[in-house]
Amino acid sequence: MTVAAVHGGGIADHIHPEPQSFIRRYIFSIDHKIIGIQYIITGFVFLVLSGMLAELIRVQLMHANGGLVSNDTYNEIYSVHGSAMVWLVIIPLVTGGFGNFVMPLQIGARDVAFPWLNMLSFWMFPVAGLMLFSSFLIGAPVAGWTEYPPMSLQAGPGTSMWCAAIFLIGVSSTLTGINFLVTILKMRAPGMTFTRMPLFVWAQLATAPLSMVATTALAAALAALFIERQFGVPFYDPTKGGSPILWQHMFWFYSHPAVYIMILPAFGIISEVLPTFSRKPIFGYKMIAFSSVAIALAGFMVWAHHMFTSGLAPFLQLPFMILTFVIGVPTGIKIFSWMATLWGGKIHFTSSMLFAIGFLALFTFGGITGILLAAVPFDFHVHGTYFVVAHFHYVLVGGSLMGIFAGTYYWFPKMTGRLMNEFWGRLHFWLFFIGFNGTFLPMHWLGILGMPRRVPVYDPQFQGWNQFESIMSFVMTLGILIFFANLLVSIRNGKKGGANPWNARTLEWQIPSPPHYYNFKNIPAVYALPYDFSEPLPYTGLENELTDSPAPATAGAH
Amino acid sequence: MVEQRDPAVKLDRGFWIVTAVLAVLSICGIIFWYAVPLQHWLPESAQPADQVDALFAFMAATSTALFVFVCGYILYFSIAFRARSTDAPDAIGVQIHDNHKLEFWWALIPALFVILLSVLSVKIWWGIQIAQPNNGMVLEAIGHQWFYTFRYPNVKGEVPDEMHLALGVPVTLHVTSSDVIHSFWVPTMRLKADMVPGLINTIRFTPSAVGTYKIICTEFCGTQHGEMNKQTVVIQSKADFDKWYQATQAAHANMSDALATVSTGAINLAGGDAAAGQQLFSQKCSACHAVGPFSQRIVGPGLKGVLDDPAHPNLVDGDKATPADVAKILQNGFKGDLGVMPNQAQNGLSDKDIANLVAYLASLK
Repeated sequence: MTVAAVHGGGIADHIHPEPQSFIRRYIFSIDHKIIGIQYIITGFVFLVLSGMLAELIRVQLMHANGGLVSNDTYNEIYSVHGSAMVWLVIIPLVTGGFGNFVMPLQIGARDVAFPWLNMLSFWMFPVAGLMLFSSFLIGAPVAGWTEYPPMSLQAGPGTSMWCAAIFLIGVSSTLTGINFLVTILKMRAPGMTFTRMPLFVWAQLATAPLSMVATTALAAALAALFIERQFGVPFYDPTKGGSPILWQHMFWFYSHPAVYIMILPAFGIISEVLPTFSRKPIFGYKMIAFSSVAIALAGFMVWAHHMFTSGLAPFLQLPFMILTFVIGVPTGIKIFSWMATLWGGKIHFTSSMLFAIGFLALFTFGGITGILLAAVPFDFHVHGTYFVVAHFHYVLVGGSLMGIFAGTYYWFPKMTGRLMNEFWGRLHFWLFFIGFNGTFLPMHWLGILGMPRRVPVYDPQFQGWNQFESIMSFVMTLGILIFFANLLVSIRNGKKGGANPWNARTLEWQIPSPPHYYNFKNIPAVYALPYDFSEPLPYTGLENELTDSPAPATAGAH
Repeated sequence: MVEQRDPAVKLDRGFWIVTAVLAVLSICGIIFWYAVPLQHWLPESAQPADQVDALFAFMAATSTALFVFVCGYILYFSIAFRARSTDAPDAIGVQIHDNHKLEFWWALIPALFVILLSVLSVKIWWGIQIAQPNNGMVLEAIGHQWFYTFRYPNVKGEVPDEMHLALGVPVTLHVTSSDVIHSFWVPTMRLKADMVPGLINTIRFTPSAVGTYKIICTEFCGTQHGEMNKQTVVIQSKADFDKWYQATQAAHANMSDALATVSTGAINLAGGDAAAGQQLFSQKCSACHAVGPFSQRIVGPGLKGVLDDPAHPNLVDGDKATPADVAKILQNGFKGDLGVMPNQAQNGLSDKDIANLVAYLASLK
């Protein structure tokens, strides 16, 4: 790609003045950095809310006969907990949040390709979140985040609200996918070829098409469910000629790729944090980058492994099983490359690094149990049990959420100019890590021995382990509370971090913290990968960034 | 991009010592999974269970080895290569980017492992899905909110409560549902099939150990999904099973003929037997209805005083409820705000059963 092709067309240097009013600056902002922070704040608010729902679940399960809430209320609680964690916490944080804030800075762009669309995407998110949580007022959905019909056809009116809310957040996610894809393809700084992009950008590049394509299948499924519930058109009701299995296919055709929407950006975060704090180039850059793409592609071909027991034709089970095993290979390559990145490093155990290393262990564990679940004969035994609950919490909490914490400690100084407290950060890590394993590790054997998921009461023989899990979940929650306290205090009182507190080498660290409205005074040119600690920085055009020279001239309003 | 020549990598003695330690730990893990197989904690009660357990042992053992190595190296590298206070603040690590030989092997070995695991899984899948004997007893299990019923060849109607099986006699079990999706899981058999309304799923197995084993629903199916774990599979010797089968056959022949005589007109309520109704109530109704005041709700309201207590709203036609109104609801089912009461056919009630139930309900004052 020539320099002119990237730089031309007046895209990169079409400068508008920075808006001055509070509302245009901080509420309806079109600045990707502000929007990213808005996503992160909103996502964290929903993390607190659905975390509280999680604790209600754990308190209910302290006793085999339940007792905290009624069965129906319990079903509402875990359904909203799951839906909110997936669609209002993990996906918006890793794409809309970190993707928005970090990705344009890392490719040397002034903003995303479609800033107004970006603002629209963001504002759908809190609206969808309020709709989802307000469904509690009219009878929230009860059939879990998967909402299988016919159960979801019979449940209260909140299920229709759920359809509308998830549809809306899906539209937001699709638009963000389009926005990021165009941004990465068209707006990289001159010289930033595909093989010089930071790995976080590669991760977003692999994720964007997933958000764009897969989410449309979910939208269709949701629209059909909504229409059937409100107007009685029988898509799914078998007594009227519909098929409940149709929903499962459409739902998982989205929701399996959605797993990768949730984990690939976290892979990207880890791939930035590990080399920075090991003072080493990332090991096997190309293999990590290409394996993200391989995982994203293969992620479209494995959805029915969620449906082995639901009546798939037996011979159809085999390709889905084997393709799922195959995904283990690129995932393994990533894990081994991260491991090798640590070898020979000068490792600095910042909070961010602790979470990245913890991620490696927990994600490996969750990945392995994923391979176990993919084996059809073993899946016949553990499908629909706590083993599955344990597996996806290792991947989504031990994986994605740990990645989000690593990313927060890492980029907080870039967002605010201040550092988070390291002591409380490390305490957060250890409480969270121990509490997490204590909560979710026993679920593996509970599932194997006979505890089904989504139950408000259970066989008393499992009560001991459930009490242990509940207590450990309080430890995990304590860690998260410390994190939020640390975050809030550090915004005002954190130590000043300067432009580059970690000695990191990607582009976002070469400009002031927080960056100017238009990110770069001059768009830099890129000469090599960012990860070579022994070399000078591979950029030119950044000489004025940390000086008092004026910001770029503006073209004026028009 | 300028191709960088990486410095030569030399692994020190510490690395090989750690590798040896991790190898020993891995072997201990592998031995553990084979020495203490799954059936040590959860007995097996049907023939393919041993194959599932063999696959689990293989996967658990290899996973343990992999996990021990990954975590062991991460821990060792973290300690061995930590930045020390004696290091210069700008000290950097060994600047290596790649090692094509290493990357080739750590792509190839997992790929070979995937092939091995696929072959093994397909083989065991074949044993469960394809190679099971086809000549066994054909049974049906039907999921309802929130209980299972079973059908046997030449037994009229549905058998409630326990599912009886004969030791060593192959079974072809068809499962389906009368309302929402349920699942039929017997953990000791390591087998599961979803019960999907409008669809028949099939599992085949051979009972292999006498005993009583739990059936558990693993698909969310409504308010009492968590309580849908009370019923059992009873595996008996062939002689005991035959005895049970003949007795059940006889009992059902004299009992209701529910599916044959679902009525459309008014039901003759004369001669209803409240005692028989009470027994039926506990089988068919008590999952959703309490014998208590109207406000005592499980799914439907409590039914005490349904004909007399003014707390009950007027039933079908707006007037005070009559036995005929109650019979109509039993006949046609009812859609309430929390769930749907099945109709006569779905509940497997004969006209006589309804008369008995109405007599029983009328006696609750």
